Amino acid sequence: MKTTNHFFKPMLLGLLSLVALSSCEKDNRAEPKSELKGRIVYEGAPVGVRSNGVQLEIWQRGYQLFTKIPVYVNQDGTFSASLFDGNYKLVRLRGNGPWVDNTDTIDVELRGTKELDVPVKPYFVFQNDVYSKGEGKVSATFNLKQVDNSRTLERVNLYVGTTTIVDPNNNAVNVQEIAANITDLSKPITLTATLSPTLAKREYVYARIGVKTSGVGEMLFGAPQKVMLR
Amino acid sequence: MKRISQYLLVLAIFILSGCAEQWLDRKPQNIILEEQVWNDSKMITGLLANYYDRLPAHTSLTTGWAEFAAYDEAMWSNNDDGRNNIVSYPFDRWRLWDYGLIRDINLAIENIETYGTSLNEGQKTQFSAEFRFLRAFVYFELVKRMGGVPLVTKQLIYDFNGNPAYLQQPRNTEEEVYDFIASELDAVKDQLGNDGSNTRANRFTAMALKSRAMLYAGSLAKYNNLMASPIATPGREVGIPAARANDYYAKSLAASEEIINSGKYQLYKTNPNLGENFYDAITKKSANPEIILAQDFLVSKDKRHGFTYDNIARNVREDNLSSSSITPSLNLVEDYEYLDGTSGELKTRNAGNTDYIYYDNLQDVFANKDARLYGTVIYPGTSFRGTPVQIQAGVKVWNQASNSFQNVESNTLGSNYDDGGLLTGSSGPQRSQTEVTNSGFYLRKYVDQTAMSSTRGIRSDMWWVRFRLGEIYLNASEAALELGKAADAIKYVNLVRERAGFGANSLKTLTLARLQNERRVELAFEDHRVWDLVRWRIAHEVWNGNASNPDAVIYALYPYRVVRPGHPTHNKYVFDKLVAPRFRAPRFFQMGNYYSSIEQIVIDNNPKIVRNPFH
Repeated sequence: MKTTNHFFKPMLLGLLSLVALSSCEKDNRAEPKSELKGRIVYEGAPVGVRSNGVQLEIWQRGYQLFTKIPVYVNQDGTFSASLFDGNYKLVRLRGNGPWVDNTDTIDVELRGTKELDVPVKPYFVFQNDVYSKGEGKVSATFNLKQVDNSRTLERVNLYVGTTTIVDPNNNAVNVQEIAANITDLSKPITLTATLSPTLAKREYVYARIGVKTSGVGEMLFGAPQKVMLR
Repeated sequence: MKRISQYLLVLAIFILSGCAEQWLDRKPQNIILEEQVWNDSKMITGLLANYYDRLPAHTSLTTGWAEFAAYDEAMWSNNDDGRNNIVSYPFDRWRLWDYGLIRDINLAIENIETYGTSLNEGQKTQFSAEFRFLRAFVYFELVKRMGGVPLVTKQLIYDFNGNPAYLQQPRNTEEEVYDFIASELDAVKDQLGNDGSNTRANRFTAMALKSRAMLYAGSLAKYNNLMASPIATPGREVGIPAARANDYYAKSLAASEEIINSGKYQLYKTNPNLGENFYDAITKKSANPEIILAQDFLVSKDKRHGFTYDNIARNVREDNLSSSSITPSLNLVEDYEYLDGTSGELKTRNAGNTDYIYYDNLQDVFANKDARLYGTVIYPGTSFRGTPVQIQAGVKVWNQASNSFQNVESNTLGSNYDDGGLLTGSSGPQRSQTEVTNSGFYLRKYVDQTAMSSTRGIRSDMWWVRFRLGEIYLNASEAALELGKAADAIKYVNLVRERAGFGANSLKTLTLARLQNERRVELAFEDHRVWDLVRWRIAHEVWNGNASNPDAVIYALYPYRVVRPGHPTHNKYVFDKLVAPRFRAPRFFQMGNYYSSIEQIVIDNNPKIVRNPFH
């Protein structure tokens, strides 16, 4: 018995390791190496959105199953997707982002890495936004420009948070002005948020402005701004 | 040795061959054959029980019960914060594609015809009618979540020819599915039998389903088309033409009035205490003339559930774990009007908002409210099973120096303050503890009063009401209002309000907004809220994800005892309204939530299926 044991043990171990090492090699596909990167832009400037809220869809014809690849847009308006080389169609999903519906397809020929600007037409955009701090307060002053007249303004908000991700779901303080109080869009609008004592003690906070168009689910945002409190 | 085995072999051949026919040709003991099922009315009834049990619901006592805490009726006060922190409702949240159940029912309808040789015609017709009622119920559940779905009414059999295209049915239009439901219910209502049953379908159950389904279709036809951009697909898989609205409302009203005028059902009015009466109206299982269809349970037959274990108020729980999961919101409590017809907003501050209003007793702030509040919610100063549910957040101690109150709260439930009086109630509320209310309220509706029903060992056999007359009155009122029959609309809604203590003819005029609130308070925790907001197309406005919108945020009410010795307000009670401390993300319903997304595998298997809008 002992001799056989000595003989079989290394054999068995060898066999096992052979199985373990070889199995991953052959039956798996290579991961997609090409990358499609891009920005959602209006007049060349990126459009800010809610993180994890807005998506684009990518489609590819020619295969048995026709399934969309959802691409979520980051809060600064950028997006990226790892794909195989090929010809894709990029679609701006209806009723999804804070802009006018445009279902024109964008053809994407992907070979290696590609950068792409996806143009949209928002209902409202921010201009000349400046941020300032007061005693336990943070203010934002900005102009609102109506780009498309088919829908009306609902409200503007100022969100203050402790990280760069700031939106209706991630914030510490939030103030708003409803459309009824905003009569003249040619004049700058100022929103002031009063910070809680714990927030006011911090070294800095992030402030971000957002505009809500009535009848559109998502809001359009400015860039988050770091405001030094001391 | 060899000899013996040869003899044995010969012997065995003799023995086995003698009775071979019976031996090999026995009836299986573990399989029931089609012929056996479809000729035995007891087995068919057993099968029916299975199908009733599988009827879908978004929230009921057994299916998805925790989701009662995911909207604006309540928040979640048990462990984990998922339902208090829903950033946005996912697009597959209400997804349902239960063609397994549809197929089972289709199969039953076909098999009872094929195999049911010894049943008489009457039995066959009645059972088939009941199967068709169940199928209509399932199609209604499908269409209200997904929009138009393929109407499959026969079993689909694949012939292995390599091309399954002939089995791939496209989606029917939303309109066609609602019309199918109406025509099926009309076709079977005279055949259903089951007179007087409230757990199996009879003609009035069919009319109750028709009343609800046609009301949904009518309001979809009307309110979807009033939106700035109506939700529709080019093939009308989603989107009912506005012209159909009146027709659907008329059908709904006719179905409701058939039930009302039959005189077979009455609003439950047995208990002279109106608050208790409303609780009894939903939970009392015997001599209850209001219930049209319920899913019943029975502890002694092991048909039971843990809804009471999970939701009973903290200090009356009998188990050592759980309790307090679904805790109603202040939003809901304030939607119950005062009996004089004024807005139900609780009066906690004086007219100038300079000081609290001081109450002698905790329950005094709720005095003269709609009796349905008591029947639905356990609020401070009330009891459950005869035991007071002690709800007090802490004390407010007067600070002479700063001329203001200071809050003192304790993490120990049922603890006393220095003056010997109560500090924090044995049922909370607590700002961050779990298994104790965070909103300051507990659920009463559907929580079982039977002793030991909140233990894991025994559990509860409280039933789940699918249809009751109270809803039918409100359906009739809404349909009549939409059809311009204001007098009828007011008559029906006033009957429901009268039972709640408002007195006869309490409303003289009626608007849809008033009726919407009436449905909210009467039908709270009965799986109506989401679907009502969806069909009125206001869900995206009520739950718009804005932290400044009081409808999208869950509020709490924290009662305090005043400690100010020597002052007339000493030992009186004041109330703070606040955003519920454990509530995180405002409710956010997006346009893509009006119809749930269809799973990719369904589209892969059947490319004729069109996607829903926004997905």
